[in-house]
Amino acid sequence: MGTTEVESVIVIKDLVKGFGDKIILDGFNLTVKKGSNVVVLGKSGSGKSVLIKCIIGLLQPDSGSINVFKENIPGMNEDELDKARSKIGFLFQSNALYDSMTIRENLEFPLLRHWVDIKKEEVNRLVKEALENVDLLHTLDMMPSELSGGMLKRVALARTMILRPEVILYDEPTTGLDPVTAREIEKLILKLQKKNHTSSIIISHDMNCVKNTADLVVLLLEGKCYIEGTYEELEQSSDQNIKQFFE
Amino acid sequence: MALIVSFKKFLDETGNIARFTGRFFSVGMKPRYENRELLNQCYNIGYLSFPLVALTAFIMGLVLTMQLRPSLVDYGVESQLPVMVGLAIVREIGPVITALIFAGKIGSSIGAELGSMKVTEQIDAMTVSGIKPYKYLVATRVMATTLMLPLLTILGDGISLFGSYLGVNIRSVTSIDLFFLQVFKSLEFSDVLPSIIKTLFFGFAVGIVGCYKGFNSSKGTQGVGISANSAVVLSSVLIFIIDLLAVQITELLGLN
Amino acid sequence: MKNQEVNNIKLGAFVLSGLILMIVAFFMIGKNNNIFGNDFKLKVRFSNLNGLTEGNNVLFSGLQAGTVKEIQLINDSTIEVIMQINSKVKTFINKNSVASVGTEGLMGNKVINISPVKGISKKVVEGDVLKAKNIANMDEIIEKLSQTNNNVASISEVLKGTVMRIDSSAILKLINDETIGINLKASLQNIYKATNNANIMTVGLNKIIDDIRKGKGSAGVLLTDTIMASKLKDAAIQIKSAGTNANLMALEMNTIVKKINYDLNKGNGPVNTLLKDSLMAKNIKQTVDNLQRGTDGFNQNMEALKHNFFFRGYFRGLERQKKKEQAKLLEAAQKN
Repeated sequence: MGTTEVESVIVIKDLVKGFGDKIILDGFNLTVKKGSNVVVLGKSGSGKSVLIKCIIGLLQPDSGSINVFKENIPGMNEDELDKARSKIGFLFQSNALYDSMTIRENLEFPLLRHWVDIKKEEVNRLVKEALENVDLLHTLDMMPSELSGGMLKRVALARTMILRPEVILYDEPTTGLDPVTAREIEKLILKLQKKNHTSSIIISHDMNCVKNTADLVVLLLEGKCYIEGTYEELEQSSDQNIKQFFE
Repeated sequence: MALIVSFKKFLDETGNIARFTGRFFSVGMKPRYENRELLNQCYNIGYLSFPLVALTAFIMGLVLTMQLRPSLVDYGVESQLPVMVGLAIVREIGPVITALIFAGKIGSSIGAELGSMKVTEQIDAMTVSGIKPYKYLVATRVMATTLMLPLLTILGDGISLFGSYLGVNIRSVTSIDLFFLQVFKSLEFSDVLPSIIKTLFFGFAVGIVGCYKGFNSSKGTQGVGISANSAVVLSSVLIFIIDLLAVQITELLGLN
Repeated sequence: MKNQEVNNIKLGAFVLSGLILMIVAFFMIGKNNNIFGNDFKLKVRFSNLNGLTEGNNVLFSGLQAGTVKEIQLINDSTIEVIMQINSKVKTFINKNSVASVGTEGLMGNKVINISPVKGISKKVVEGDVLKAKNIANMDEIIEKLSQTNNNVASISEVLKGTVMRIDSSAILKLINDETIGINLKASLQNIYKATNNANIMTVGLNKIIDDIRKGKGSAGVLLTDTIMASKLKDAAIQIKSAGTNANLMALEMNTIVKKINYDLNKGNGPVNTLLKDSLMAKNIKQTVDNLQRGTDGFNQNMEALKHNFFFRGYFRGLERQKKKEQAKLLEAAQKN
């Protein structure tokens, strides 16, 4: 747990979001301190993905506020959102690499968009550096379809990192990977986090991932923050709702 | 009850498509333009469709000529074959057949491509990367289909007429000069212009429907298949509806 | 990046070929419509356009010379047509040329035919009004054709009767023969002369008798002279025989005429061969037959035309009209 002097990067208050008659998030509260990794734990369909999509502005919440760097995301127009998004990284569950582009173009794409005046050499340098960070420099001119799942995840991670975001949102980063690859990804997340001093929200139900990466664990249940604490605190809890994740 | 529900659904869908189309003019027309992507799409949509369109157009011209010949011979106006075929191709067959082939090829590919991008969160990824997916994906594709279909139609008409020339020569002899002279003698601007203008709308419809269906694809590979399929079906139907409107409008304007 | 360039080149070639094809097509069509040509206009006024519309072709002696640009109603019986004329053709059109509305082929589009007229005239200039010649349209032609058909039918009917009468009439044959007439005339003249002579003789005789009665001159001598008296008796006998001869002659004339008549009926002699030649009669009959067949064929053609779908509407209209008239007649008859 962070101390009170550390500034808060993300502050979520009373977030409500529903689809039709079904309410997914029902008054969710969360605060992320600078430099900390918060893991949001929850069953499938509990609204974890909805939560981080609201944070990045892909979904519009019904009510409540989401302050990222003291700016309220739901109240922004498109241009303001674009600006805010350049400080937020997002690692998609399905990687979301563009099939029609090479790895290089995939990495260049956000760079050219967010930093319009960037020079060609600078782009090349940054792309190479990002790929070196994930040990995949040799894939530079390959297509995403030629890479394995683990490699794709690492490329996606490199793409998320290339803009040097201050906050990174991970959507189930280890789901669908074998345990060995999953550990590699976890290590990479931690390594890059240290290097760039980023804060992050990780969504996962993979307890190994939670154990290895979490500074703080939040259990999302019925649209609310059921409990928050460190991994060890939750592991020792006798609450049935918490215990089912550790079995 | 079920009828009312499905009718409501239909209205809802129509409204959504209308809004989606509206965004093309509000969002899609604003700078900055995705020129490189537009060229890329023009290449994919126009150039790569050309062989297919050329083949179908050629066969269509040939077959139409051979099918029309017997009845023209019956009336003793066999010499009017080029005129008849020329008018049929330029006014109706060329635009509609080209548009239908185009809808089959491009509508489904756009629907499937955007559908799978939607399903694999690539569209969300674009949004996050500061790209307006509507502008980058939809506007460029719609623009490309709108611009490329008329070109394909014109080229297809030309090839179709050439096929028709060969068709005339199967049973009788005519020179290519005379054939095209006869065809062009019977053509007027009021035949050519409306048919080219309507292909702009055909292309726009194919692009918009393909993008809409892809953009609103439901999760899973099945969703992608459905959106590709319904894109083709809906755009084909729209082509005929637009064709109907076009003929009535040209009639109203006295161009027929 | 290199791939992109190649793609762009391909795309460029594709777009250019499409645009060039479009421009060529527009140019070809434009050539027809004279849109890119010179702006040389001629006018002509018709009372009936028979469906001529803007954009129809203008032919000069059958050569494509331009298009109809504008049609204006000037008053209830005059329509002005403004034609756009090809600059190459305009130098050949004279001011006295005549324009008419025609049809391309039997069923084709309407056209304006400009035909040159003999005689010296100046060349046309911009805005000239040409003389118009109203030419019958298809409907009128068919109507006339139908009328002609009826006429031919009635003529052939009359012809048939006439020929039959000619065939059977002997008097006509007699009248028609010239030699009989001439002979007859000569005979009558002879009779006339003979009677004339007889008359002169009787006048002379009268005078002698008068003289005798008075008893003076030679008559007195005559009366007394028996020789003279016997001579007188001879003369009287001679006069009597002359009268008898005249009478005989007339009788003979009668037999001649009778003989001719007999000959005519029996079939001898040259007159009769001329009039009664069966071959000739056959020929005449064949001619009439041919005429009949011809009119029959014409009738059949008209019938076929009636059934041709192009004209069906027109003929149905005619039939309906006929029926209506018949119905009217019937009604009138019933009233009476």
